[in-house]
Amino acid sequence: MTALPHVGEEAPVQLRAPTALDLFMFSASAWLLHRIHYDTPFTIEHEGHPGLLIHGPLQGVFLVQIAESWLGDRARLTSISYRHLAPAYLGDELTCGGKVVGSDDDGIDMELWARKPDGTVTTTGMARFIRRW
Amino acid sequence: MGVITEEARRWANREYPRFEMRVTATDIARFARATGETNPIYFDPAAAKAAGHPDVVAPTLFPYVIRMHASTLVPADQLEPDGSPSADVPPLPTRRAMAGETRVELGAPVVAGDVVSVEKRLADMYEKEGRSGPLVFVEMEFTFTNQRGEMVARENFTRIYR
Repeated sequence: MTALPHVGEEAPVQLRAPTALDLFMFSASAWLLHRIHYDTPFTIEHEGHPGLLIHGPLQGVFLVQIAESWLGDRARLTSISYRHLAPAYLGDELTCGGKVVGSDDDGIDMELWARKPDGTVTTTGMARFIRRW
Repeated sequence: MGVITEEARRWANREYPRFEMRVTATDIARFARATGETNPIYFDPAAAKAAGHPDVVAPTLFPYVIRMHASTLVPADQLEPDGSPSADVPPLPTRRAMAGETRVELGAPVVAGDVVSVEKRLADMYEKEGRSGPLVFVEMEFTFTNQRGEMVARENFTRIYR
């Protein structure tokens, strides 16, 4: 049986600071047309933000990547839920991390997060991974 | 004071036309590059086959790409000034949108060549008082199925309008 991390163990953190190019590539790859991710004057003048927003779904991908790069082939993601608690803007450096919070015969549950250098959590989630035998 | 009018409320349970995406290796590679993936199973058919897949496989959250196309691959006159698809935006006085919560269940992986269909429904709409005024939460529900009838994913996505 493949060994999985135990409750309390943490995945190595990853720093993610997407550039304007990264934000554009993500929008383009999904055909996501929302202007708050590529049109700076619109985002500031019409939406009242200080700058372009890092997509919520891109932060969701960051959370998945934290866990997947740690677990590798040992487990498969079967469900994830995540919430955006505060906006993340172009220029923000997000520290993404995860911790095992539950474990049983079938797999593990992980808490995942992205936070800014000042400690503000922008996205938090819970994911379920099933062991690959 | 409520901001969800009767007219907006009628959008609850709205069902949308079924959308089909024929997923190519290029669609997969584009999303994988955009998210910084480096695993060759996303780019190289030989590596994907060695890992037990029939062709290049998509990163875990790729169903997101499929449901975005379902919403936004429409004529430009069916988009709001902020680029949001008009069909997704109920008539609310709150017009500025941001992502809220996502819940995804995953089934069969998406592989190049798959034809994935999405069924979509406006599952819920409710409001809360935020620090800067009313917030309206609009929850969409998506069911993704592949050409073999296998469940690929189910997703509930809430957008917040302020």
